[in-house]
Amino acid sequence: MISIQLLLLIVLGLVAIWFGWRVFMTSSMVRSALSLMASMIAIGGLFLVMEAEFLGVLQIMMMGTEMSIMAIFMMMYMMDPGGLGEMDMSHQKNLSITGAVIISLLIGGATLIIDWGPIAVNIPGPHEQNRLLGLEILERSMMIFETAGFTILTGMIAAIAVALSVKNKRN
Amino acid sequence: MELLLTALAIGLVLFGIGLYGALSQTNLVMIMMGIELMLGAAMINLVAFWRYLHPESFSIQMFVLVAMTVMALEGAVGFAIATQRFRTSGTVEMEESADLKG
Repeated sequence: MISIQLLLLIVLGLVAIWFGWRVFMTSSMVRSALSLMASMIAIGGLFLVMEAEFLGVLQIMMMGTEMSIMAIFMMMYMMDPGGLGEMDMSHQKNLSITGAVIISLLIGGATLIIDWGPIAVNIPGPHEQNRLLGLEILERSMMIFETAGFTILTGMIAAIAVALSVKNKRN
Repeated sequence: MELLLTALAIGLVLFGIGLYGALSQTNLVMIMMGIELMLGAAMINLVAFWRYLHPESFSIQMFVLVAMTVMALEGAVGFAIATQRFRTSGTVEMEESADLKG
């Protein structure tokens, strides 16, 4: 008997995998970006199915925005964003497939060998989860959270510095 | 157990697809898309570990937040590099970036 949670996991997982695969199988860059957005939203759906409500909503909101921006960059920087020329933008395909399959097999093998122990049945409700995550962030993981914030600030400054026009730098 | 293994299997396949994309694509933005998929797969695994193994440990959810931060940063810095690369050479094709060698 398949539970509803397992059924939803399989359906959303297949959606995420299908759109993830489509990212590299279309010659249209815009379709690639939108496929990645669909895949990421399906991953957010998987979080919701696994009852991590806060992370699921956060993932959907963040990735919806990020992938929309990515689609705009794709159109800016590609000579053929619509893929009308059917241009192939890949190299070392056999090596890539072999590498991906070998790594996947190694991880899959490790997954099957490991004894995962007892499976948890009861988890805190959404309200309690948010409270406990807030406490985790502001108590034990405070330093990590602060470091993440500082890293974002550093990344923003680095991104602006890198993207500055060469002309302006010389002037 | 089948719920945990299903989630891990989904993460595994997505990681494999992302790795293939990161290795095989010649365009910088497409390589970034591959990396995003791999990070997404890692996040699925983390949430599955939290949900099915240690729902009492919220440091795992914290780890997912850090992974999301890494995704956002990778996007920001990657696009900045793409912008500068496009300005200097008119393309973001990595095969034409041999001039970056010292």
